Amino acid sequence: MRRALGAVVLVCSGLAQAQVQAPADGMTLLRRIYEATEKLSYSGTFVYQQGERTETSRITRLAGPGGGVERVEVLDGMPREIIRTRDTVRCYLPESQTVKVERRTDPRAFPAMLPEQVSELARNYTISRGEPMRIAGYDCEAVILTPKDQLRYGYMLWSDVKSGMLLRARTFNHKGETVDQFSFAQLGVGNVPRDSMKPRHQAQNWRVEDAAVTPANLGRSGWTVGADLPGFRKIIEVTRKLSEARPVGQMVYSDGLAAVSVFIEPMSGRAETTRPGPSSLGPFQIYTREVANHIVTVVGEAPAISVQRIATAVEYRQLAK
Amino acid sequence: MKQKISELMDGELGGGEAAGPLTALRDEGEARDAWRSYHLIGDSMRDTGMLSAGFAGRVTARLEKEPTVIAPARVAQLRQRPRWQFLSAAASVAAVALVGWVAFGLQDGAPQVAQAPQQNPAAAPVAAQVLPPDTANDYLYAHQGYSPRNSLQGVAPYVRTVSGKALVRKQ
Repeated sequence: MRRALGAVVLVCSGLAQAQVQAPADGMTLLRRIYEATEKLSYSGTFVYQQGERTETSRITRLAGPGGGVERVEVLDGMPREIIRTRDTVRCYLPESQTVKVERRTDPRAFPAMLPEQVSELARNYTISRGEPMRIAGYDCEAVILTPKDQLRYGYMLWSDVKSGMLLRARTFNHKGETVDQFSFAQLGVGNVPRDSMKPRHQAQNWRVEDAAVTPANLGRSGWTVGADLPGFRKIIEVTRKLSEARPVGQMVYSDGLAAVSVFIEPMSGRAETTRPGPSSLGPFQIYTREVANHIVTVVGEAPAISVQRIATAVEYRQLAK
Repeated sequence: MKQKISELMDGELGGGEAAGPLTALRDEGEARDAWRSYHLIGDSMRDTGMLSAGFAGRVTARLEKEPTVIAPARVAQLRQRPRWQFLSAAASVAAVALVGWVAFGLQDGAPQVAQAPQQNPAAAPVAAQVLPPDTANDYLYAHQGYSPRNSLQGVAPYVRTVSGKALVRKQ
C-alpha cells in the first residue's frame, strides 16, 4: 500500500523529483551522505547510545568555504562543548575551566572524503542497501557496510532521501551486536544563523591546553609498525602533547572508516604506572605495551584484534648513525 | 631482576634461587610488571586465547552485587558510618585489580580461570573488559581528530571521547 502510494506521489511530482527518488545503489547513497556532510548547514539534537550510556547533544553546522564551522554541545552530564573550524578544534570544559586547542598543520587530514576514497571502501566492505526507515520526521534510506573480515566493524547508515543528510549511524560487530549508535531526535536543514556558532563560554581566563601538533617522521627515530593490517594504511604521523603536556608521537592507520592510533611516549616522566594489555572504553579498544623504555598505547574504533595486532607490530630499532 | 623473573617463569630456577624473585613478586613493582608482561607476551606468542569478552567486567559486576562476599564483617561494622560506601568502592577497585591480575598475570597458575569457557574459539583473541588507565580519555580525544568518522558525521563523534571523569580529575 505504502509503495503504491509512493509510486503515485512519484508520478505526480514529475520527472525532476523522480530522478532524485530513483533507487540508488549503496555506493551512490554513501557518496551522497559524504557530500551532504560536507555541504549542508544544519542544526539539531542527537542521541548517542553506547552500552548503557545514553547522551543527548546539540549540533550545529554552518557550511562555508574550507569546511565551514561546526559546534557540538553535550547536554547531559558534565558540560562540554566542541567547536571546529577549518583548521582548529577547540574543546571547552567549563567545570575545569579548560580549553583544549588543536590546530591542524595538514589540511589533507581534514574531513572532506574524496570520491575515489569512497570507492576504496568497497575493498574492505560489502556495500548494500538496507530497509528504509522514518527518523526524526525524515524519510530515510539505508546503506549497510558489511566488513569482509573481522578486522573492522560494520556500519548501518540512514540518510534523508531528499538531502542525503545522515540521520542515524549504527556500528555493529561481527556478531551483529550494536557497538554504538548516533541518532537525530530533531533536525533542521539549512538556515543556520552565524550567531549560533559562538561558543557558550568566553573562556578568557581559562587554562589553555595546546596540543602543539607537528608533522613528524617517527620512523626516522627508529619506530616502525612491522606487520601490516590488511586494508589499513598510515594516514598521518605527528608529534603532539596530551593534556598534561606529555609529548607523544602519534601514527594513525585507517581503512577509510575504521581507524587506529598508535601513541608512543617515553616511560620516564609518567606519573602513573601502566598496565600492559587490552582494555576498552566506550566503543574504543585500547592496547598498552612497553617497548624499549617507551609506553605504546594503541587506541582504535575497531575490534580488539585489530588494535592488538597493530600494537604487537610496533617495533623500535636503534638506527645506525 | 627481570632476567630472574624470566628464568623463574621458564622453570629454570631451583628452590633456593627462586626465593629472591618470589619475594620481589610479593610487592607491586618492576618485578610484578615484568611477570605480567612476560606472561602476556608468552600468551600472544603461543596464540593462547584470551578470556571471553567481558569476563572481568562480569565478575566485577557480580562482586559489586555481593559486597558481603568480599568483606562481610567489615561492612556490618561500618554500616553506621556515613562514608561506608567508600569502602564498597574501594572493594570494587580491589576486585578490578584482582581480576586484572588474574586475567593478565596468573593464567598459568590459576587453572580454573585459564580454563574459563571460550566463546567462539575460532575467533581471534578478544580483549577482556578491563578498565583502561585514567589517561585513556586523552588518547581517545587525540585520536578523534583524525577519525574518518569526522568526514561521515562532522563533529558529532567527538561526544564519544570527551566524557567526564578523566577530565574533571585534572582540576
